Amino acid sequence: MNALDVVAPQLALLVTAGILLVLEAMLPGKRRWLPYVALMGLAVSAAWTTSWVIRDDYQTIFDGTFSLDQYSVFFYYVFAGITALVVLSSIDWVNTAGRGKSEYYALLLVSTAGLMFLAGARDLITIFVALELSSIPQYILAGWAKDRRSSEAGLKYLILGAISSAILLYGMTLLFGFTGETVLPEIGAALAADDGANRALIVVAMTMIIAGFGFKLAIVPFQMWVPDVYQGAPTPITAYLSVGSKAAAFAVVIRVFFEAFGADFVSNDWANIFAVLAAITMTLGNVLALVQTNIKRMLGYSSVAQAGTILIGLAAVSASGQEFTLAANAVLFFLAAYAFTNLGAFAAIIAITHRIGSDEIADFAGMWRRAPILAAVLAFCLVSLTGIPPTAGFWAKLYVFYAGVQADLVWLVVIGVLNTTISAFYYLGVVRHMFLGEAEEMSPVRVSPGIGVSVAVTAAGVLIIGVFPGPVLDAANEAVQVFAGG
Amino acid sequence: MPFFLADVLEVGVPTIDEWVVWAILASPIVSWALIALYLRKIPAVAGYVTIAAVGLSAVLSVIVLFNVMDADGGTVVFTHEWFTAGSLEVNFGARIDGLSAIMLVVVTSVSFLVQIFSQGYMEGDKGYGRYYAHMSLFTASMLGLVLADNLFMLFVFWELVGLCSYLLIGFWFHKPSAAAAAKKAFIVTRIGDLGLLAAVLLIWAEGGTFQIDEIHQLALTGALSSTVITWFTLGLFAGAAGKSAQFPLHVWLPDAMEGPTPVSALIHAATMVAAGVYLMGRFFPVLELTTDAQGVVAWIGALTALIAATIAVVQTDFKRVLAYSTISQLGYMMLALGVFGYVAALFHLMTHAFFKALLFLGSGSVNHATNTFDMRKMGGLRTAMPFTFWTFVIGSLSLAGIFPLAGFWSKDEILHDAWDENLALWAIAAFVAFLTAFYMFRAVFLTFFGEYKGGEPVDHHDEESHFHGDPAHPHESGWVMRLPLIILAVPAIAAGWVNMAGMTDWFGRMVAGALPEPELHAVSFDWWIAGSSTVIALAGIGTAWAIYYRGVIASSTLRDAFYPLAAIFENKYFLDRLYEDFFARTVLQRWWNRLLELIDVYIVDGIVNGAGTVSRGLSSRLGVLQNGQVQAYGLGLVVGVVILVAAVFTANPL
Repeated sequence: MNALDVVAPQLALLVTAGILLVLEAMLPGKRRWLPYVALMGLAVSAAWTTSWVIRDDYQTIFDGTFSLDQYSVFFYYVFAGITALVVLSSIDWVNTAGRGKSEYYALLLVSTAGLMFLAGARDLITIFVALELSSIPQYILAGWAKDRRSSEAGLKYLILGAISSAILLYGMTLLFGFTGETVLPEIGAALAADDGANRALIVVAMTMIIAGFGFKLAIVPFQMWVPDVYQGAPTPITAYLSVGSKAAAFAVVIRVFFEAFGADFVSNDWANIFAVLAAITMTLGNVLALVQTNIKRMLGYSSVAQAGTILIGLAAVSASGQEFTLAANAVLFFLAAYAFTNLGAFAAIIAITHRIGSDEIADFAGMWRRAPILAAVLAFCLVSLTGIPPTAGFWAKLYVFYAGVQADLVWLVVIGVLNTTISAFYYLGVVRHMFLGEAEEMSPVRVSPGIGVSVAVTAAGVLIIGVFPGPVLDAANEAVQVFAGG
Repeated sequence: MPFFLADVLEVGVPTIDEWVVWAILASPIVSWALIALYLRKIPAVAGYVTIAAVGLSAVLSVIVLFNVMDADGGTVVFTHEWFTAGSLEVNFGARIDGLSAIMLVVVTSVSFLVQIFSQGYMEGDKGYGRYYAHMSLFTASMLGLVLADNLFMLFVFWELVGLCSYLLIGFWFHKPSAAAAAKKAFIVTRIGDLGLLAAVLLIWAEGGTFQIDEIHQLALTGALSSTVITWFTLGLFAGAAGKSAQFPLHVWLPDAMEGPTPVSALIHAATMVAAGVYLMGRFFPVLELTTDAQGVVAWIGALTALIAATIAVVQTDFKRVLAYSTISQLGYMMLALGVFGYVAALFHLMTHAFFKALLFLGSGSVNHATNTFDMRKMGGLRTAMPFTFWTFVIGSLSLAGIFPLAGFWSKDEILHDAWDENLALWAIAAFVAFLTAFYMFRAVFLTFFGEYKGGEPVDHHDEESHFHGDPAHPHESGWVMRLPLIILAVPAIAAGWVNMAGMTDWFGRMVAGALPEPELHAVSFDWWIAGSSTVIALAGIGTAWAIYYRGVIASSTLRDAFYPLAAIFENKYFLDRLYEDFFARTVLQRWWNRLLELIDVYIVDGIVNGAGTVSRGLSSRLGVLQNGQVQAYGLGLVVGVVILVAAVFTANPL
């Protein structure tokens, strides 16, 4: 049963999801323990992943369509961590929302299992199935709240997600039609053997694949859904979308590029495309974030801008050819740092909005007096998103910029740095409201244990990575070395 | 190299225990943590904890200084791997040498006295505990910046200094002016920080190291190309220009007066603004290799000195005179760095730290008695506040450069270096010296002589005001404020004696010992420079005396005579207007908003409407959705793919 052992981290989540559904049906009571069952499932998954790290016996299964390697393991941890924090942050919200508690957590776990499959998938069909496995629960969760906005968000996300899946699938079929292969390295081999006659077709295929994932990455011009969905979806789900599915999409894009397209296609031309996309994405995201008055919309545009920053890393990956590991390392580190930071910000926002019933930035005025710790953590995370030391976000940006400089993309780095300055205005604008504004009401904001743990863990994470980025950088470096051999 | 008379120095290695060095940094951090976590609600203790912590740092800094003196300013580095990842190695280390040892003593001693003074000045303020927490962190950040043995660590502490200054300038955040000033300081200095960040990235890419001594070696051995050196230096200077308030980034410093006065004293003397000059001093071995960058540094410095001095002449706010004076003197230091005056610049940095701290605390003492900083409401305070008066005069004489006070020696050395290098720069510096003497004594005469004009009545409705006395009957401040003034008066008089041209060279040897190739450019005493600068300073004081004490000619008459110039000075060369009204309001807000509006109306709405028409039929069936946006988005996705494919083909000729 070797294959089952390999996919055990995912299976643990799927089984837990099943247990949740069954248990809720069988056991009476208020079922306050449901989130903890979900957390246990995540813990088992992470523990199993760790057992693979200890065994150091990475392998490829299912005829090469799925790989358990250092790269996927890195993302397993990221996803398990993200989902655990989202579960903790969800407890209050789910208790208030009232309906189908077990389904909520079960869907979250299923989606996470999908993300984990994505991290290890090396085959077009596996990638597609994994993507849908992660996406369909997300569509449902985005529409989970009973209000109109949430339903609208869920439906929009579903329809647009379906269109983007279609585009992705079209790209994949083109690639399959040309090479006759679905496994990435074999596609790579077939492409290498090509004499260039079909290059146009391949370029179209690649572009469509990028476009399909561009939807999840939330890069321009595939970002339009972001503000509506981010604002409408339940806030914990917004947090999940902003870091989880984004990280998974980047994980797949990097793997597809290395394993299927290889050094031949990873060239300056692609670097330029990514670079231009990065510049536009960053600038548009930041500029539109500037004018937002709703904090969830603002973070939506901010996540677009951050995706643009990550694209600098991707451009650097393409531009550096064989020397790509530095840039890929930067991207992975950025994703991990961004996950902590954004989740921290969202956890604080969830607690605050849950109490004040509004997600308008103006209503955060004077929050410092009502909830000093939440305000401080939110401010700290916003500082990290801006990229000021000593925070994880600072290193993330610095490392990506450095990769850009090394890849001779100085102009892009300059745009990136300028964008960082623009972003300071809206990130610190929230801080200003919270610390310098006057609150209309002074009642303190209570912090529930779940959010409390979530806020504490993320704040500590942002700070610890900010002061000692070494271990995470090392882990990211080890992960990308997987591609260095081939 | 213009280093004639260069003495090659033999330096040793200081034998200091490592824990002493780290304790200097740790002490205020511990005090910060204690106050932030436990003592915020017990203000009385918070003050004493900070004073004790900074005092301990000061004592340890003196021990370090003695050890370094034994080694003639030589260098010892205690460095530890902070983390390594791939090709990147970052250390957390302390570099102790003549330069950093002296800076440590200056920072900790000035900070120590400021903390004591604050006990009196901040008494009864609601945010007393918070104040001391910020002050501890501010001091710690500056110490970390001074100790840093690598550019990276320096950058991190540099940003922390900026963050703390934001918190302290905006300390009374209920005042809109304070909140605005804090924001301005943060944004303007961050513009400079972009340059520093660029320098960090550049040296990482080109040199592969952040260690200061390794960067020096790379530059000296020619491993870095001259272009890289020039851009690296200019990047550093951009950062330094932000922090050290050089034209055109100086605009934040005068507004930073909105913070509590002891904070101003600390910012202006020993911490924030010193950071920029210190940074340039640290990288002087690189700076002196690039004449292009040196020229920029020298001329920006000279321009800053001149502009700020002319503005200071027309200020009516006591603290603003001092603020522009700081900018002007920082310009002096930058000028010195640009004309090979490494020792002179750092020497002036040190003497200035003492007399400017004294002057600021003096202004705080005056404010404590009169409840105002408006010199037009003061006058005659000489008799009511003798301690404040005499110490303030000492500080002013020192700043004006009167023999044999501290400022005389350091300023003369700068004039000397400028004279050797470039006569135009010397002429500007000499003129600025005249203006300096003039505006300082204008302030002295307006404040301490003549009739007392009543101060500012206390507004008893203002709950935030913590003013206790009676402005109508000003009285000398208590001992807790008097003592720091008296103590600071001593170095304001004597700090210059450690490097008297042609006589003593202790300071020069110490800071030159910190260079990778220690050699001292000995300055001989030059009667012409010393004589002319004394005459210039006396002329400035005399002019102030004639106008503001004897009233030979009314200042308003003078103002009318020089109307266009006076208007320019009074409006600070219209720079604030340019930045705030034009750039911030017109360009950024109005034009930018207009642009966004246009995009919104013509592009976004256009697409949405167009798509809406196309798919209205579908839309009515999916009634949940608004305005056909989903169709527009879907269309956008498809259009995006088409654009992307087109772009790929354009970029990727087949």
